[in-house]
Amino acid sequence: MPAPKLDRALVLHVAKLSSLSLSDAEADRFADELARIVRYVEQLDGVDTTDVAATAHVLLDRMPLREDALRPCLSHEAALSQAPQVEADGFAVPTFVE
Amino acid sequence: MLDSSVTAIAAKVRAGEVSAESVTAAAIAQIAAIDGRLNAFLHVPEQSALAQARAVDAKRARGEAMGPLAGVPVAIKDAICVRGVVTTAASKILAGYEPAYDATVIERLRAADAVILGKTNMDEFAMGSSSENSAFGPTRNPWDVTRTPGGSSSGSAAAVAARMAPCSLGSDTGGSIRQPACLTGTVGLKPTYGRVSRYGLIAFASSLDQIGPFAGDVRGAARVLSVLSGHDPRDATSLDVPPEDFEVACGRSVRGLRIGVPGEYFAEGLDPEVAESVRAAIRELEAEGCVVKPVTMPHTLFAVATYYVLATAEASSNLARFDGVRFGLRTTDPAAARDLRVMYGKTRDAGFGAEVKRRILLGTFVLSAGYYDAYYIKAQKVRSLIRRDFDRAFESVDVICSPASPTAAFRLGEKIDDPLAMYLNDIYTLPASLAGVPAMSVPCAPTRAGLPVGLHIAARAMDEATMLAVAAAWEARSPARSLVPPLAAAAGKA
Repeated sequence: MPAPKLDRALVLHVAKLSSLSLSDAEADRFADELARIVRYVEQLDGVDTTDVAATAHVLLDRMPLREDALRPCLSHEAALSQAPQVEADGFAVPTFVE
Repeated sequence: MLDSSVTAIAAKVRAGEVSAESVTAAAIAQIAAIDGRLNAFLHVPEQSALAQARAVDAKRARGEAMGPLAGVPVAIKDAICVRGVVTTAASKILAGYEPAYDATVIERLRAADAVILGKTNMDEFAMGSSSENSAFGPTRNPWDVTRTPGGSSSGSAAAVAARMAPCSLGSDTGGSIRQPACLTGTVGLKPTYGRVSRYGLIAFASSLDQIGPFAGDVRGAARVLSVLSGHDPRDATSLDVPPEDFEVACGRSVRGLRIGVPGEYFAEGLDPEVAESVRAAIRELEAEGCVVKPVTMPHTLFAVATYYVLATAEASSNLARFDGVRFGLRTTDPAAARDLRVMYGKTRDAGFGAEVKRRILLGTFVLSAGYYDAYYIKAQKVRSLIRRDFDRAFESVDVICSPASPTAAFRLGEKIDDPLAMYLNDIYTLPASLAGVPAMSVPCAPTRAGLPVGLHIAARAMDEATMLAVAAAWEARSPARSLVPPLAAAAGKA
């Protein structure tokens, strides 16, 4: 297992991937805490998993399928009712195209 | 009235001996009398609860058939959506959110003539073992208000322990029903993964999350489980199995049933008083005719590390939906008005608490390029080995008994600055979650200080019936039977 250096730079990189804007102070604190947790997790490295399949889910082989048919769903009004900002009958977001 | 069990209340309401309205009014009065000291409830829509109860009474007056939970008030963990009732998962990012629909479990409770009493406190997004991660302040343990009731379903456990509700719903991802049940002296049950629909449960880790009941006794938990379980086409992981009456199992003989006791669960870190209380319970079951056998579950030790990789990875993906667009909080920072990514980042930074951010970061890290195979896939493989431990043990035993938590309730504040120490508290409940098997906590003899202890019983997937038979047999002999926290008893007499 690689031994990543969990410092402020790596935490800020992961925070960007997570859409979390952290202050430098927060990033430093999380770097310390996450480094300890990741060191603890690295004990898994010592487990022999040769020829062991990964379990993504305990029921993957038992999930039933349903008919691919139209069903009732939330009304337009209900779907918009909890939005922090609504414009032109849709969810309003800040500009994301220049 | 609130000293009565789920089954007794339903029987009295059905027979017309008490009105559903008076039961719900008594629950509301108990909440008003003591919840200021416990903080178990985040929201109690009193008028709506009383109206539901009156509708149950009216149904009876019309001579219609009554459901199995007739007039029983049920407290609901705030991670479960109730139509038109504020549902926050104890997070600032969902403050004021009112779902436009009921979770499937809520529909099932309503169809059984239960009364939705209110929403209970919890660790934010079900991430925590002490309730201290709630954005709305911690819940306190009714047995000692300086201590935690456990978590994450803290309010649902405290509500039942303090007789504010005869039963409640929690959700369990790594022990979030069983550990608080243990620490509050209530019965708490996590069903087989897939037994109960997750539709309308605010997701934490989808391959692990299950909704389940808390109740004052085993039979009550069994009745609620019978109501909750069943196939739901709206949850792709809901199992298509026939309904079962779990109450029948509560009267079944346990003679000849084989109990496995894994040495790995009675190891370093286990409080000696807790160990003795649990061992005494197992001896009593042996006296009832069970056969007790040692079993070995060698990968138990790795459950905490495995869980905190897999659960955080799934959480980092599930919590991506909280972005300030469709529901919940949006930052008012002026910089966010001009840039979508800034809006996402600042909204999430303002809305999530420290533990949620910690887990999102850890989960994103283990899924990120360069680390995915080493951490995430590795943990999935160790999960297979933990499942194999259960499969092998269940070749020679019918249930596995252990402590539910290594210690009785710890003090609020004691572990808050040490996330890893907090995680290690879940060591006995995590393996059953990773294996997807049913497990529950049933009260056993309290510590000398009077704090509750729980016997943890796990069974094969889909074999809740055997687990409940053992739980009921123990409960009938347990010295913890019908113990009530002084704080709750005093209020009841007032």
